[in-house]
Amino acid sequence: MSSKLFAPFELQYEITNILSREAHFLDNRRYEDWLDLLSDDIVYRMPMRVTTEKKDGSDILDEMAFFEETKKSLITRVQRLRTSSAWVENPPTRQRHLITNVLIEPGEKPDEYEVTSSFLFLRSRASDLHIEQLSGERRDVLRFVDGKWQIAARTIYPDQAVLGVMNLSMFL
Amino acid sequence: MMRKNRIDDKTLQLLKDKMKDGLMPQWVVTDPDIYELEMETIFGRTWQFLGHESELKEPGSYVTRWMVNDPVLLVRNKAGECKAFLNSCTHRGAHLCTADRGNKKTFTCPYHGWSFNTDGELIGIVAGNKVYGEEMQKDEWGLRPIPRVESYQGMIFGNLDPNAMPLEEYLGDMKWYFDILLGRSDGGMEVRGVPQRWVAQANWKATSENFAADPYHVQTTHRSTVEMGISPKDPLYAGYGHQVVMKNGHGINVITSSTGRSHYQFQGLPESMWPMFEKNLSPSQVEVLSKTTVFVGGVFPNLSFVSPVHGTEGHLHNYLNFRVWRPLGPDKVEVWCWFMIDKAAPEDYKEAAYRGYIGSFGPSGTLEQDDTEVWARMVQANKGLMARDKELSYNNLCNYLMGFGGLEPDESFPGPGIAYPTCYADAISRSMHEFWLEMLTKDMAAVEEVRS
Repeated sequence: MSSKLFAPFELQYEITNILSREAHFLDNRRYEDWLDLLSDDIVYRMPMRVTTEKKDGSDILDEMAFFEETKKSLITRVQRLRTSSAWVENPPTRQRHLITNVLIEPGEKPDEYEVTSSFLFLRSRASDLHIEQLSGERRDVLRFVDGKWQIAARTIYPDQAVLGVMNLSMFL
Repeated sequence: MMRKNRIDDKTLQLLKDKMKDGLMPQWVVTDPDIYELEMETIFGRTWQFLGHESELKEPGSYVTRWMVNDPVLLVRNKAGECKAFLNSCTHRGAHLCTADRGNKKTFTCPYHGWSFNTDGELIGIVAGNKVYGEEMQKDEWGLRPIPRVESYQGMIFGNLDPNAMPLEEYLGDMKWYFDILLGRSDGGMEVRGVPQRWVAQANWKATSENFAADPYHVQTTHRSTVEMGISPKDPLYAGYGHQVVMKNGHGINVITSSTGRSHYQFQGLPESMWPMFEKNLSPSQVEVLSKTTVFVGGVFPNLSFVSPVHGTEGHLHNYLNFRVWRPLGPDKVEVWCWFMIDKAAPEDYKEAAYRGYIGSFGPSGTLEQDDTEVWARMVQANKGLMARDKELSYNNLCNYLMGFGGLEPDESFPGPGIAYPTCYADAISRSMHEFWLEMLTKDMAAVEEVRS
């Protein structure tokens, strides 16, 4: 079954489901399953947001980032979280990835789609009553290969110029 | 009514006595009264890092910064000089410029329209003479300058105390190491983009010590890298080298290896750059740079730096990371993290070094993530009656006994400062504490002198 045959609502349904599944993997620390969703050539970035005056143009700064990852570096990050001494997640925090406002546009290649979504990330650490949160937008390239969906690119744009989370031990 | 457990002469005397024994009362970590005192007596009087000259590329370039709670506008004026002003309109005090950075000839307050140029001069008042008359002297209402602004090796610092000692005198022996870190290559270092910023649960003293004075934490806090086979199994690995104590609470750890010489000459920097080091540095600075793997240290009170070597699959890279721990309360810091690299380095090297930085330090850094957890634990366990008891009835003292007594300086170390022959020592911490206390009690000492 080729994705091109899908009616738009089916495509919307399918891609939204993939993003929900991805969030489920991340919320439940199924990081290896998560890595399987990513293409080997994935470009995974989180550029910085800066506060700028309108005349100075975009408030997204591509030059400097919070994440600047390849599949290989993401695998390394997952392997590290699997050690016994990645203290930031041992004891583990509780995480929730809420993904909404999924918009799909045709991609540059026939089997690729440009997918924009909003995220709200929530995290509960130890007995802290304060729940850390991070919101923003993700721009992905989703690719349909051999009957399987892959995330081929992700750019994460945080809303905050000063992140209100104490670290970025999570994936977004 | 007197509140119990306040800071008084007796608690300070007890603090001094314990410090003489290599101990630090646990209450100082997050005590709200000591925090208030620190803001006035330390942050109001010491040199604080504002930015690097490469962040202000041309006339009109500006960045906005904070000296704790004082908003600062750092701008390059028409003549090309870097100026720093209180980022607050002189009319009603509104925050003048809320952008992080940009380029402007004129800064206009959105409240009533008062406008200032890059020299801070008031150049425009809406309806000027019609409402204020001729007697309004515009030159009396310019932006208020940060009382002292001085720089060294492109690092611009501000000081709120007009009578502070000059920056170069304050940095003292640290200048020698700044020359290596910042002045080794032609054209010096450049900042990439803007600093990463995030808020950690931490006290500024703990984060400053963590970087300036504590390679001992590396083998445990960052043990995941040992588990991954990235860092050596030898628990002493971050201890080889010298811990150098300097005046005014500054310090640096010059980490080598078990042989006293790094496995990576000149921090693995491209050989094409080596002649620059010979040219820009003294022979003893070259010697230290050639043998060192990691420089990690700090300038009191809240500027830290690390210049490490990271290597994956035969590719080695080095970079420089400066960071300011901006206190937001006794248990909160806003971290400002700058990535810096030699302007003269090859472009592909710069890119690889940048990726190495993102993977290790900053909020997503696999090393720094675990630091943030530890910092949070330190403040969270420091708020109770036992930890905060100023009579110290519960043995509520932190241990700074590593290398206390018995550890003799190594006179053969080529750099200035007091160099101990290991980085696993609390010598820098103890010296930071001494300067911290000196700053805290300066006024009290003056009062005592008048009394006696």
